[in-house]
Amino acid sequence: MSAEHEVIGEPARLAGAETGVIHDIGYRRYTGRRLGRAQIVRALYWHSLRSAYGLGRGAKAKIIPVLTFAVMCLPAVVNAVAIENGQARIVPYDTYLFQLRVVVMIIFIAAQAPELVSRDLRSHVLPLYFCRPLRRLDYPLAKLAAFITACLAIIEIPLLLLYLGTIAQAHSGTAIWAQTRALIPGLLVGLMWAVLLAAIGLALASLSGRRAYATGAIAIYFFLTWILAGILIAVTQRNVVRAVVVHPPPGAVAKGAPPGAPGPGTFVAHEITQVPTTAAHLSGLVSPFTTLDGVRLWLGGTSPGPVPGVGGYGALYGAMLLVLLAASLGGLAARYRKAGMA
Amino acid sequence: MSGQSSSLAAPPQREPGPPEAAVIETIALTKRYPGPVTALDGLTVTVEPGITGLVGANGAGKSTLIKILLGLLAPTSGQARVLGGDCVRDGERIRGLTGYMPEHDCLPPDVTATEFVTHLGRMSGLPPTAAKERAAESLRHVGLYEERYRQIGTYSTGMKQRVKLAQALVGDPRLLLLDEPTVGLDPAGRTSMLELIARVGAEFGISILVASHLLGEIERICDQLVAIDAGRLLRADTITSMTQASEVLLIEVDEGADQLLAELGRRGLEPRPYQRAVLVRLDGDETYDAVRDAVADLGLPLNRLEQRRRRVEELFRDDQPEVSGVR
Amino acid sequence: MSTVELRNVSRWYGNVVAVNDITMTIGPGVTGLLGPNGAGKSTVLHLIAGFLAPSRGEVTVGGAASWRNPGIYRTVGLVPERDSVYAFLTGEEFVRDTATLHQLADPAGAARRAIAIADMADAQGRRISTYSKGMRQRIKVAAALVHDPQVLLLDEPFNGMDPRQRLHMMDLLIKLGAEGRTILLSSHILEEVEQLADTIQVIVSGRLAASGDFRAIRRLMTSRPHVFLVRSSDDRRLGSALIGRPAVTGVELTGGGLQVRASDFGAFSRELAGLARDQDIRLRELLPEDESLESVFAYLVES
Repeated sequence: MSAEHEVIGEPARLAGAETGVIHDIGYRRYTGRRLGRAQIVRALYWHSLRSAYGLGRGAKAKIIPVLTFAVMCLPAVVNAVAIENGQARIVPYDTYLFQLRVVVMIIFIAAQAPELVSRDLRSHVLPLYFCRPLRRLDYPLAKLAAFITACLAIIEIPLLLLYLGTIAQAHSGTAIWAQTRALIPGLLVGLMWAVLLAAIGLALASLSGRRAYATGAIAIYFFLTWILAGILIAVTQRNVVRAVVVHPPPGAVAKGAPPGAPGPGTFVAHEITQVPTTAAHLSGLVSPFTTLDGVRLWLGGTSPGPVPGVGGYGALYGAMLLVLLAASLGGLAARYRKAGMA
Repeated sequence: MSGQSSSLAAPPQREPGPPEAAVIETIALTKRYPGPVTALDGLTVTVEPGITGLVGANGAGKSTLIKILLGLLAPTSGQARVLGGDCVRDGERIRGLTGYMPEHDCLPPDVTATEFVTHLGRMSGLPPTAAKERAAESLRHVGLYEERYRQIGTYSTGMKQRVKLAQALVGDPRLLLLDEPTVGLDPAGRTSMLELIARVGAEFGISILVASHLLGEIERICDQLVAIDAGRLLRADTITSMTQASEVLLIEVDEGADQLLAELGRRGLEPRPYQRAVLVRLDGDETYDAVRDAVADLGLPLNRLEQRRRRVEELFRDDQPEVSGVR
Repeated sequence: MSTVELRNVSRWYGNVVAVNDITMTIGPGVTGLLGPNGAGKSTVLHLIAGFLAPSRGEVTVGGAASWRNPGIYRTVGLVPERDSVYAFLTGEEFVRDTATLHQLADPAGAARRAIAIADMADAQGRRISTYSKGMRQRIKVAAALVHDPQVLLLDEPFNGMDPRQRLHMMDLLIKLGAEGRTILLSSHILEEVEQLADTIQVIVSGRLAASGDFRAIRRLMTSRPHVFLVRSSDDRRLGSALIGRPAVTGVELTGGGLQVRASDFGAFSRELAGLARDQDIRLRELLPEDESLESVFAYLVES
């Protein structure tokens, strides 16, 4: 530009002051870290654990997990209050409130196992998992691990609350130690419960993509076998009648008799006790819940439970536990090995 | 005038990819099922980088081939290699480098596209933040904007197909396997999906294998074609060589075809009628001029003048018509 | 000879009007029924097949109403889109049972003929559950043909078929159309409909947007200039000569050649050759760019 050029009006802008940039927002390659199979499985585990509790799904999905958890904690809370008022712990660690546990677990598993498994089957999303750097069995493995964790929390946290509520009032180290020693078997029993029930629940849920059918199948299986076990155990008890000779102490008077009347003499009373038969010992094998209880007894548990003693058949209960577990794991493995890429 | 930044510069060129190694290679690949069903029978083919159409393999053949390529199924005999790795030994690594878009419905209805693609990004091995970012990017590249925050159950077929493509892209694959990507889409949807695929292949530097029954769309977007028939290779070639120009010129006039026929005959071109048009043999450039002059002399309305090309469709015709299909 | 007629037909579901005052006649030959997803094509097919009653208007096949008239099934064959076969039957059983349901005198013979026409003779002994998608389509076509219907309704019939099966099916439909049957075919694959159909019926948002030969429909769109691609020995000079003509509204030099927009398509096509000769320019290629069914359809849907 010539130097003599006169500037009229606004001075010209400096060259280069007006600039523009077009940024490249095209496709970018990914050059960052890639996680290995173990971490992918872990991510699937967390994802599944979250769906077991209805997290990330909206409020309705959380109702059952929250309610079942709250109900399961109730005895622990009540017990803690009772202890504050000076009573001893009434809820045992190894059986907890058996009936309550059964009902709560049936509801939780029947409601939530389909969330983990049936939904993916229904939407046919499995090929999108299998075409990724995972192995076939990683999928059911992650789901199972997540569901066991979910069930474990529902079973063990109330036990821990029970424990904490009890030792809060304990005054000596030995008392705390006694509680701890009682808790540990309880936790182990809880672990058995979580592993077996989660496996059965997932295996049954994997049979159907329809959540209603899966829930129905799980609920019916658990309830029916439980009721059946209860009935069998009740009817196979044997009544043993014992004749007892009763010598009333001198001066004893029959109830309702006017004072001064002569006392009753020696008489024979009949005592009826229920004694479990072999059939009763074995009836527990019919239901997973009573099987678990049988194994507890076999391993030395002392609190009374629905199974009236294993009578030497403890090993059978152990075997049954393994059979149920193996069948469930095998079923899951078979189901997902078969699931095609369609 | 020089500014500090490149004002209005064109976007930078994509870096050229690695040297042209074959993307997929099979050697005498055979798969037999109990039945006896032979899905693949000694298939030997090499697929080069670019967009390749896979055609003809119906049912068992196609899905078997895809499963084998992804390392999910072992062949009865023969070998398959993808991106330099053996499908049987390096299956996991191959799956980490490929993206797959299935033909069937595979989307859960009660999840948003963002959640879904992010989750699958994690399943591809991306760390949490990268999964979120790449999911967002993939959804943008396939053209899903605010819709991505709605549940997938509310989407149209076209949008669902895009989500399927986005999840295949989220892990930054080197190879995409697309199984019938336009099925169920109406004409507008097909056009935009095909344009999207062409863009992915051309601009993103990703090789694509498109399995499709529609030869028209394969001709439109693919560079190469692999045709399989009864488990064997029928033909593997570039689209260009399969749609080569023949030495035949087609002339279509809106009226007066008989007059044209006569006039061209008079000029010694040996014309013959073909449906609504007239064909002459192309004998050098003079033919063009003779045709032009004939049409001009007669004052006929010229609608089309075209050198006939072979069509991919001819591969599948048992008879050998001169040209196929134009009415 | 059976004509399908719709007269002022509407069909609504509560507030949703699926079909809105459609009047059309479908005669012998192959007719393509086109429209975007959700436009009402399936509803029209179901109305014609007698599965739905029109909320208003009349639907007749060969003069007889289609609703509540099982008699029309003697003349009508339907190939629906959904998988509607019993997978546990063999192909032959399925077609033969269909023939029996039609009360044909010789179901086995009719089944054999229909299966031969659909080229399924090799697989007829196998269970349908073992069939590929394309084979299921063909067995459905065989079942629809077993009673030798005059009217054939097909909803996306090529779905799942490989190229060879498609070509075979197209040849079959062309042949059946040439025999004088009335064939109505609904499809999204326009390049195939273009080869098959003599006439098209385009439905957009429940209304009939256009009917007839698609080329004629294109000519009717006078407000849209026709677009051509020309390749010549000197595109630029040809372009500048063309823009001087009143029939031409625009020329553009593109990578592929000279793109010409002609408001008066007739005048342009008559003038081009002469213009090129006068300028001593060799014409190598002239391609109409928006006369295909695909372009016509896009224009109809857009407007």
